[in-house]
Amino acid sequence: MKTFLPQYLPWVLLLPAAAIMLLVGAIPLGIVLHYSLHDIFTLGSRSWVGGQWYLDLLGSRRFYESLLRSLGFSALVICIQFPLGIAIALLTPRSGFVRTATLVLLALPLVVPWNMIPIIWLSLIDADTGLLGQAIAVLGVDFDHKFNAVHTWALIVAMDTWHWVGLVAILSYSGLASISPSHYQAAAIDQASRWQVFRWVQLPAMWRVLLMALLLRLIDSLMIYTEAFGINSGGPGTATAFLSLDLGEEMRGFDYGPAAARSVVYFAITSCVVWAFVRMASLSEPTR
Amino acid sequence: MRPGSLLRYVIGGIGFAALALFILAPFVQVVHLSVLSTLGTPEAPLGTYTTLNYRNIFASDALKSSLFNSVTYVVLNVCLTLLVALPAAYAISRFDFPGKRSVFIVMLAFRVTPPLVLALPVFILFSKLSMINTPVGIAVAHCLFNVPIAIWILESFMNTVPRAYDESAKLDGYSTTGFFVRFMIPVIAPGIGVAMFFCFIFSWVEVVFARTLTVTDGKPITMAISNLFGFQTDVGLVMAMTVFSLIPGLAMIFFVRHHIAKGFTVRA
Repeated sequence: MKTFLPQYLPWVLLLPAAAIMLLVGAIPLGIVLHYSLHDIFTLGSRSWVGGQWYLDLLGSRRFYESLLRSLGFSALVICIQFPLGIAIALLTPRSGFVRTATLVLLALPLVVPWNMIPIIWLSLIDADTGLLGQAIAVLGVDFDHKFNAVHTWALIVAMDTWHWVGLVAILSYSGLASISPSHYQAAAIDQASRWQVFRWVQLPAMWRVLLMALLLRLIDSLMIYTEAFGINSGGPGTATAFLSLDLGEEMRGFDYGPAAARSVVYFAITSCVVWAFVRMASLSEPTR
Repeated sequence: MRPGSLLRYVIGGIGFAALALFILAPFVQVVHLSVLSTLGTPEAPLGTYTTLNYRNIFASDALKSSLFNSVTYVVLNVCLTLLVALPAAYAISRFDFPGKRSVFIVMLAFRVTPPLVLALPVFILFSKLSMINTPVGIAVAHCLFNVPIAIWILESFMNTVPRAYDESAKLDGYSTTGFFVRFMIPVIAPGIGVAMFFCFIFSWVEVVFARTLTVTDGKPITMAISNLFGFQTDVGLVMAMTVFSLIPGLAMIFFVRHHIAKGFTVRA
């Protein structure tokens, strides 16, 4: 752009946003970094412990178990929600009432406050008053989300799919909606098969939004807290003790030093994922 | 009708019905329990249909004020977010400056940072600034994820406005501010709507900051609902409150129902 505007103008325009991000992002991150190197007796009195909390965390078996559980959970929900979400998007009509109704349906669970979601699902599977719980009881299954680890996992995965499949489907749909009819006509002239249309016309159009959906879903599922905690507080035993649930436990126990070190490690994990995705987005554009 | 398209029609119909059942069942459950007497009183025996739960909400000052608190911080957050995000988005859309790419990555990193990771230091910092127990504190904290989202959405809408538009306005003698208010804002109004929608929703559903920052006062609706759980929980009242916690989100969806797909398309 021609510079009849002062050079510093962009910085001035960015200043308010930068100030607020400093206040709620960068400074708190600095505080957490500071705490992670100290033993906090009270917030007023602390002593330097260096990398002790990090060594404790990274040397503990529990951390790797939780990391594996969280990775497993992420892999599971992504493997369910992406094929399902893409299929829903492909079946959604491009116009008309059904289109609007489907999109509204898909968006509904996204606007439910997160702590309401486990409350709603627990009432849904209640054996006496829940719609699903009564149905399961009729089928003769003894569903026990409190003490049966497989059932707890199934409930959390079903709940998470209910919560988030709409995001994947809506994003995929918005990618599909950007394809102009002429692309389909060209594919039809070339006598492309259904699969070829998907692979060479629809997938490239969805690529960027799918990458975005994958980033959001990966991080949100890796760091799932409110919803999983509401179902069974990490139990039975440690069967659903995901990464964030361990952090929540330390914070409730006022172990500020170790909790801060854990926070820094988790922030590093999410930042690495973001960095990897930005690299991936700029490197691997699929060929049309 | 070709056999192929008939098949597609049938699959579509079954698929839509299955999807509707899956998505709506939990909502049906909530509404059903909210009009049911779940504790049993002389007026409404156990298991009868009643409006008692809804009347109980309005009989409780704590529940009423929690509704008010939630709406307050969400509206404050949307205003604050737009105020700081509009100029920032303009800067990113129109100027080339060193570090532009890093700005984007930093924004994305903060957008996805779990609130739990920053809840403790934000609490400590806000205690020093006397921003605890007030909707203002929550509104500011929610900027952590909403400012990046808003900048991102607004920037993508501004990118679709040709730069020649800016320059011709400036040749006509408008200042940058004058141009921005009189020309840019009306042109990207749909983008502002989309950004407001997302900020509203993300602020409304967030729980960790909203709870951590309200210890004794200014409690949000989500906290008020959790507090209803106890030795003998009035499930009907919980569900009636849950219905209220759903209304703002449903209203937002209704307003943008024709633009949902468009709104989610933010170009990375």
